[in-house]
Amino acid sequence: MLASLGIGPVKLSPVAVLDALFGGGSEVQRIIVQDIRLPRAILGLAIGAILGLSGAALQGLLRNPLASPSLFGAPQAAAFGAVLVIALGGIDVRSFALPVAAIVAAFASVFVLLAIAGRNASLLILILAGLAISSLAGAATSLTMNLSRNPFAALEIAFWLLGSLEDRSFRHVMLALPFIIAGAAILMSRRHAFRALSLGEESAQSLGVDVGRLRLWAILGVALGVGGAVAVAGAIGFIGLVAPHLMRPLIGYDPARLMVPSALAGAALLLAADIAVRLIPSTSDIKVGVLTALIGVPFFLYLIVRERRALGGGIA
Amino acid sequence: MVGSVIAMPPVAWSHRLCKAIRACIRRSNGVFVVAFLILTFAAQAQAAGLPRVASINVCTDQLLMTLADPAQIVGLSPYARDAVRSWAAAEARTYRRLSGEAEDLLMLKPDVVVAGLYMKRATRQLLKRQGMRVAEFDIARSIDDVKEQIRRMGDLVGHPDRAETQVARLDAAIVRAKQAVARKPYRVLALSRRGWVSGDDSITSALLSITGLSNAAASLGSHSSGFATLEAIVADRPDFILISDGRDVADDEGSALLLHPALEKLYPPSRRLIIPEDLTVCGGPMLSDALDRLVAELKRVGG
Repeated sequence: MLASLGIGPVKLSPVAVLDALFGGGSEVQRIIVQDIRLPRAILGLAIGAILGLSGAALQGLLRNPLASPSLFGAPQAAAFGAVLVIALGGIDVRSFALPVAAIVAAFASVFVLLAIAGRNASLLILILAGLAISSLAGAATSLTMNLSRNPFAALEIAFWLLGSLEDRSFRHVMLALPFIIAGAAILMSRRHAFRALSLGEESAQSLGVDVGRLRLWAILGVALGVGGAVAVAGAIGFIGLVAPHLMRPLIGYDPARLMVPSALAGAALLLAADIAVRLIPSTSDIKVGVLTALIGVPFFLYLIVRERRALGGGIA
Repeated sequence: MVGSVIAMPPVAWSHRLCKAIRACIRRSNGVFVVAFLILTFAAQAQAAGLPRVASINVCTDQLLMTLADPAQIVGLSPYARDAVRSWAAAEARTYRRLSGEAEDLLMLKPDVVVAGLYMKRATRQLLKRQGMRVAEFDIARSIDDVKEQIRRMGDLVGHPDRAETQVARLDAAIVRAKQAVARKPYRVLALSRRGWVSGDDSITSALLSITGLSNAAASLGSHSSGFATLEAIVADRPDFILISDGRDVADDEGSALLLHPALEKLYPPSRRLIIPEDLTVCGGPMLSDALDRLVAELKRVGG
């Protein structure tokens, strides 16, 4: 968190950063730290946390280690929702219409995915359906931007598909945070149900868990969190996949206990990625989603190799 | 035997038919030739022997509309109608909207296609291979470039007199602006979406120096145009920022940057010079309006 505040194109000493954070230093230093770097750090933490939490919740819900928002196409669908609202025109990108549209689209995508995959879907079906939805949403996002009258569509498409925390402000924080908190609250309130579910669906039902309703709640929580996050930062992928796996060896396989550490790991991951984006020398800004995908995809491939037997079973 | 009996009549019949068709073709050919000649004469009378020109670039669109007769304009690029970026957007609606690609140009067969030097490279090469005359206009980087382009387009459409009128209009605006020169050589940063900064080699920079202002891009470490980070802008802290839109609405994430609280704190409306994009995107006749606007904006902010 401090590192995120300390690093940027303008060099400031850690002491100056701390000073500016608490109202000291020159006006320029205060503006750089409070208005430019602080919202970025807060968003990085909040978005990373909700992605990690969503990943843990979905993995618990489906009892499936490959479940995560980005593999299900939820961020891509949310980005499409947001872009569609922009393309319809007359809307300020800093208005609440954006997160609402993103949330609706994210909800629809996860709902459709779980409906297609069914209750005891194999890994293969989930991944294939998720791939289809995320490709479709990505293509729809690009097409919507191309069809809009905006001549800068290419750059805007890159933002929505890859995600970035660059130059976000407190207006963006205010836009996303209420939804992220609501989503996180919903997911956290269901954590004991996820634990019951890890014993199997029948055992969970005998423990008084309504699996159908639990699903709806989980989808709603993920949609709120992911939608709110995507509306201000674009589709940042793979945090939700990686974070729970980093914590599982330390915490064990209890989905309820895994959720908070996953959120922390997600926050740390995204913040680290966002710092790295600023440190890598480049002529134009690197999108943070590029970095998370660079880390996330090899990890995903490793998981597939590990789960190969289960996948083989899915085919047969 | 049987075969020849059946075969004979059709051969004779088809021979007669062929004759008739040939006569038909010969006669209609004459009609076509006559019609073609009449049409050609009509067109020539209309344009008095002047070339018919199509444009596939928003900047050449506007030069063309200013200098050519309406009958000379075959069509304009799609962006000519964009009210935000095209100064002559309303007038552009009266002309054919081209796709900006080669196909419709090959069908319309204009005498000259005017285009930008950097955009649509494949289209320009294809047109040249098809034997079409393509006149390419570089991006204007100085007032001299602009005058040269106005004169070149004037010669191309056969109205050099109109070009001289436009150059004189621009010169008059420059004289007006120099009289109303800023009180101090304020440092102004011309800032567009995503932090794009206009460097020394831009029309915007030329406009600033005419009114006695200096371009702050140089102290951001770049003499040419490029992206500047928000932090670098805040740390450098130019006296004014020059933007194209005074509204408090962000149409996309790129333009949201200009409304970032960090910039709004240092640059309230009284620190923002606003010149609409359609006056500065291209070098052309609209620059005299841009200069007048810049002078008015300086007066507004008390510079």
